[in-house]
Amino acid sequence: MNKTDETLLQQTKEAFDQSVDGLDAATLSRLNRGRQAALTEAAQPHRQWLRWIPATGVAAAVFLTVLTIQGPGDIEVISAPAADLELLLGEESIEMLEDLEFYSWLETQEDES
Amino acid sequence: MTAGITVFAVSCTSKETGARALQKQQQLDRFLAEVERRALRIAEIAVRDRDEALDLVQDAMIKLVRSYGGRDSAEWAPLFYRILQNGVRDWHRRQAVRNRVMVWFTKAKPEDTDYDVVASAPDPIGRSPDEELQNSQAMQDMEIAVHELPRRQQEAFMLRTFEGLDVAGTAVAMGCSEGSVKTHYSRAVHALRDKLREHWR
Repeated sequence: MNKTDETLLQQTKEAFDQSVDGLDAATLSRLNRGRQAALTEAAQPHRQWLRWIPATGVAAAVFLTVLTIQGPGDIEVISAPAADLELLLGEESIEMLEDLEFYSWLETQEDES
Repeated sequence: MTAGITVFAVSCTSKETGARALQKQQQLDRFLAEVERRALRIAEIAVRDRDEALDLVQDAMIKLVRSYGGRDSAEWAPLFYRILQNGVRDWHRRQAVRNRVMVWFTKAKPEDTDYDVVASAPDPIGRSPDEELQNSQAMQDMEIAVHELPRRQQEAFMLRTFEGLDVAGTAVAMGCSEGSVKTHYSRAVHALRDKLREHWR
């Protein structure tokens, strides 16, 4: 490296250092806040699953868009009678599920008779 | 008795761990306070936007503290700049994609005529307007010249000259060999000499 290069580097470095020293108060304040936020945020436990939220949102949006564009014609929709839905959504349905074997047996008895 | 000793030992250990963590936190704070301004200017020269540069520096701070805070403090500088340079590269990639998409939708923006109070405030170091103008012009020439360098040359030049990392540290920060650092740096100096010769004597 010759003398010209050294002078150039020195001048470049000086100009850079001056620009660093001349940073305005607003920028310095933002840097300070950013540093404190980084230290605080990094000290908290890292929740990996949070990073999947945007991706899941995008995937859901794409799915809904495709569904809207293609329409329900391409997708098999299973229609359930309103009474079945009422049965499933009702509070008593949980109790019914506990006695599922009994109702199954009852149905076979009715068929036989 | 044994249980009492165990509780005392656990309590001492947790106190020591807490003190060590606090000490590490303070060390990190000092390190970041020391590098943040230069890091901001380096990022700003690379992306030519202060707000974006501030975001990149903050992201780099978070990643350093989270992933490498436990490392030896001597390793922090190259690692921090490696994270920052990766952030800058990602920013350029995203920007390239955004520009390709947005070129079809953007209209010419009207010229910004807002009066910037901060920018027009007096120089905090107390330089005269002439000195300020001269320095500002010199800095602008230098910034443009460095910004126009090929990316790897730009990185090598800024890390070596502005941040003062040695060849080994720059190699870690750039994720390449020391030989590559020397080559990029040498080419950067030659290119800058040609560009700035007329302005800087």
